Amino acid sequence: MTTRASSEGHPALSDQDWGFATVDQKPEIYNPQPSRMFYVYLAMPAVLLLAAITIYPFLWLIYMSFHKVGFGNASDVFVGVKNFARLFNDSKYLQGWGLLLKYSAICLSIQVVAGVSLAVILNNSRHEKILVTLFLMPMMVSPVVAGLLFYYLYNGTFGWYHWIFQSLGILDETSILGSADTALYGIILVDVWQWTPLITLITLAGLKRVPQDQLEANMVDGAGSISNFFHVSLPNIYPFLLIAVLLRFMDNFRFIDAILALTGGGPGNATRLLPVYLFDVSFKFFKLGRGGAIALTLLIVTIILGMILVKVLEDPARKKALSGDTDG
Amino acid sequence: MVAVSFNNVWKDYGGGAIAVKDLNMEIKDGEFVSLLGPSGCGKSTSLRMLAGLEHISSGEIVFGDKVVNDLPPKDRDIAMVFENYALYPHKTIFDNIANPLKQSKVAAAEIERRVTEAAKLLEIDQLLERRPQELSGGQKQRTAIGRAIVRQPQVFLFDEPIAHLDAKLRARMRGELKHLQFTLGVTTIYVTHDQLEALTMADRIAVMNDGVLQQFGTPQEVYDNPANSWVATFVGEPQMSLMEMQVTSLEGETALAFGSYTIEVDPKNSARLRAAGKKDLLVGVRPDKATVSLDESLGSIRGEVYSRQLLGADVLVEVEIGKSRVRAKANTSFAGTVGTPCYLNFGSEDLYFFDAKDGQVIPQ
Repeated sequence: MTTRASSEGHPALSDQDWGFATVDQKPEIYNPQPSRMFYVYLAMPAVLLLAAITIYPFLWLIYMSFHKVGFGNASDVFVGVKNFARLFNDSKYLQGWGLLLKYSAICLSIQVVAGVSLAVILNNSRHEKILVTLFLMPMMVSPVVAGLLFYYLYNGTFGWYHWIFQSLGILDETSILGSADTALYGIILVDVWQWTPLITLITLAGLKRVPQDQLEANMVDGAGSISNFFHVSLPNIYPFLLIAVLLRFMDNFRFIDAILALTGGGPGNATRLLPVYLFDVSFKFFKLGRGGAIALTLLIVTIILGMILVKVLEDPARKKALSGDTDG
Repeated sequence: MVAVSFNNVWKDYGGGAIAVKDLNMEIKDGEFVSLLGPSGCGKSTSLRMLAGLEHISSGEIVFGDKVVNDLPPKDRDIAMVFENYALYPHKTIFDNIANPLKQSKVAAAEIERRVTEAAKLLEIDQLLERRPQELSGGQKQRTAIGRAIVRQPQVFLFDEPIAHLDAKLRARMRGELKHLQFTLGVTTIYVTHDQLEALTMADRIAVMNDGVLQQFGTPQEVYDNPANSWVATFVGEPQMSLMEMQVTSLEGETALAFGSYTIEVDPKNSARLRAAGKKDLLVGVRPDKATVSLDESLGSIRGEVYSRQLLGADVLVEVEIGKSRVRAKANTSFAGTVGTPCYLNFGSEDLYFFDAKDGQVIPQ
């Protein structure tokens, strides 16, 4: 290295003008490396444990999806892709996808808006600690218990929510879970009640890390609190929010506990989301091969959608900032 | 461009933490005033009260003839440069600088013109498409200044803007900031803990300690006539030395007793000490007004070298005399090392006199 670009980018400050000491030769540096196998041995216990609890079941799932799985003395019969092929003619399977996507989209939208709003309110509250504890309670309840809880609240005879919705005129004579029109929204409400606090919690952690001086600089620049939120807070909490959304999205795609407790997929097939259908096929009809095929497709789609979600949510933020159009 | 004044301003954070006590200050239109003091002295709090980022516990802050106590920052027409620059990491340099204009809904073409102009002035016009994290400290700091000057505000507020730059760049930025402020003619309040920054840049310096304004005057006044012993030792580098002396008399003339020595006092200071009528004094001498030598001379005081620090062009010698330590600058050829007996000399006309009880200066 004999020349170096000026670190400040000011011609007057270029180091070349004054000259400085440089080192042209690098000595042979003795840097002993342990053998490659050493690392393999170190990693082995973890790899073995992981293989036993995740990789083996996963391989078994793939095996099942290509077989007609037998019970008792019956042996497994290889059926090729027949399990998969049949899925495309299975109306319950396709309908399960539709319901799952609708359910997930509505849940995420409500949870993000409500979760972030709550976080902002909590962040400005003097009673933050108490309120956070209160808001976290739904998350600590087991999903099945949450399902049963709402089962009572929705009850057509003595359910409190049922009474409120009917009094408000939102609901006609039928019960919430008994009607194909409202049953899905019934279970969405359970999810929103239980998991909005997670978004709130993660967003709140993000809001705590928004640099105070950026907020103050923006205020001095002439911003009010709304502009402050969209120009400074939101871009700063965006990575946190993205993680929260991703977590919720993946959770939604394997959500089953509360539905089983509330509707079991009914009325008709109105709440038979794909995971519920998967449960039915595998553990009610014991078609483990077809169940395996459904589970595998669900897994692959979850991974692909997850990656798309990250891309879609990440890119606009970057593009937006790059183009300089940050008026929100 | 507007005059700014603090009228009996207090800031009480509660729980006995009073950051600013009864601050009174008149800052003229277009003036460059530096708030100087150690950390925790209330200078940043004062600045933040001006910006509207802190509430005032009592008193009033006036811009021109308008009391701004309850105005939010966005309505005060101020620009502020923060210690950590406070750039928006998700925005480009252009958008960072343009932010104040966008907030006040200026037309796009006008924004473009003014941002480019400010960037040219600060020599960051080739960086406008970049992000703050791609910039060096000096460039970030220029961006922060760009954001402040782009709007032509009434008042500039600087909160230790160059404290985090390296020494070389800091020296350069001092000159540039001073030039910029003079060119733009905007009333400027500049907070710093570095007395050199205050002395070199400000039209007037407000020295604060423990929430109280100690002295408000031009750099020359603060340096030559410090209001008390605290200001005297805080301003000036290397620091002024203080010695405990008693007023006594020698053959009918006023003199100073320093340990076993009796020091004659020139007629002017003699009259001044007589008029004050104090007995116990703190007497200060700046290192460049004291000389140290290995040879005894008329009126010199004997001591021992406590330390010898090379400053480059000369050496700073700390001389221990009894329980006092007095700093003196000497030529680099000064041969004394730690423990060497040496002789200190200073003229009484170069001394600073303070009351030993309250540290206040003995009036001229």
